[in-house]
Amino acid sequence: MNKELEHRFVTELENNQNIVHKVCSLYTNDRDSHKDLFQEITIQLWKAYPKFRGDAKFSTWMYRVALNTAITLYRKSKKRVQTQDYDSVIFRIKADEYDDTQEKQLKLMYNAIKQLGDIDKALVFLYLEDKDYSEISETLGITEVNARVKMNRVKNKLRTILNP
Amino acid sequence: MDELELLKKDWQNKEVNLPKLSYDDIYKMIWKKSSSMVKWIFYISIIEFVFWAALNIISSDPQYMQNLKAMHIYNVMMVLNFINYGIILYFIFKFYMNYRKISVTDSSRNLMKAILKVKRTVTQYVWFNLIIFATSIIISLYGVLIYSDEGKEIVEVAIQQGNEMTFWFLIIALSLLFTGVLLVVIWLFYKVLYGILLKRLKENYTELRKLEV
Repeated sequence: MNKELEHRFVTELENNQNIVHKVCSLYTNDRDSHKDLFQEITIQLWKAYPKFRGDAKFSTWMYRVALNTAITLYRKSKKRVQTQDYDSVIFRIKADEYDDTQEKQLKLMYNAIKQLGDIDKALVFLYLEDKDYSEISETLGITEVNARVKMNRVKNKLRTILNP
Repeated sequence: MDELELLKKDWQNKEVNLPKLSYDDIYKMIWKKSSSMVKWIFYISIIEFVFWAALNIISSDPQYMQNLKAMHIYNVMMVLNFINYGIILYFIFKFYMNYRKISVTDSSRNLMKAILKVKRTVTQYVWFNLIIFATSIIISLYGVLIYSDEGKEIVEVAIQQGNEMTFWFLIIALSLLFTGVLLVVIWLFYKVLYGILLKRLKENYTELRKLEV
């Protein structure tokens, strides 16, 4: 691995690190796991980087590797509890922030998403990132029609979690 | 769903709250070791392979070879060994190919397919080992009873006492039971080992497969 490649990779990742942080915040519940997953994704990205030919955008490619790592490669720690952890890195609501209805509703939504399965989470994540169905289907390796059908099911699932 | 649209906006605004790593932080990270599941599955299968191969080599000392010759099963066992090593070489090749195929840039579905293929190869490998193991036990038992001095003696005593049929029936039943128990133990061990690693993955895979129907 030459120095130039290293430098290019680290710079690109530094500029696009938000994508990885967002994936981590959806798939982990505490700071340590967040760090672990971030590291694992970084390693996988670096391993795959020589094969990245630039025919896709760096960020698009990152979405794919980051999600694949979260869904398939990452070994989640056994201590992981399914309950909601309000200390999670990005969903933490500051104490001085006043808790109006909308804020409360958002909090409930985030908690509902946390309860979804790995694949459903990936769908919601790409949806929140404003990706179109062709990109969603390509990332997960399913057809566009299926991505739409699945997304509708996920919405229904969320509705059931929110209004039991 | 209006809430989701609302969430989308909120999600995009939250970027300011995200942690920020420096160039150096990230630079250090790329030299850390991966702890990915696939790597562990690959390592365990290699360890397993070494274990079986070592068992075979340890048990093949000259004394053992002499015994085999005396029991007239040397040729059969050698042929079995020959087949064994041939197939093991084939498996090494397959393990290697599977590992190379696991590329992180594939789609989630393809990646999981590749991982499950690794698992399938390992399963085939273990079954192959179990069969070779069982065959060797049965051939050895046959050799011991028919050709070794102790075996001959035991058989003669049994015949003199007039219950030859019962004797053979017992021998066959006992050896089958013995082999069966051993196979079950090995199978269970294997099930636990890979079962833990692959449980979550299998759930995800079935979910992805359901999407295709």
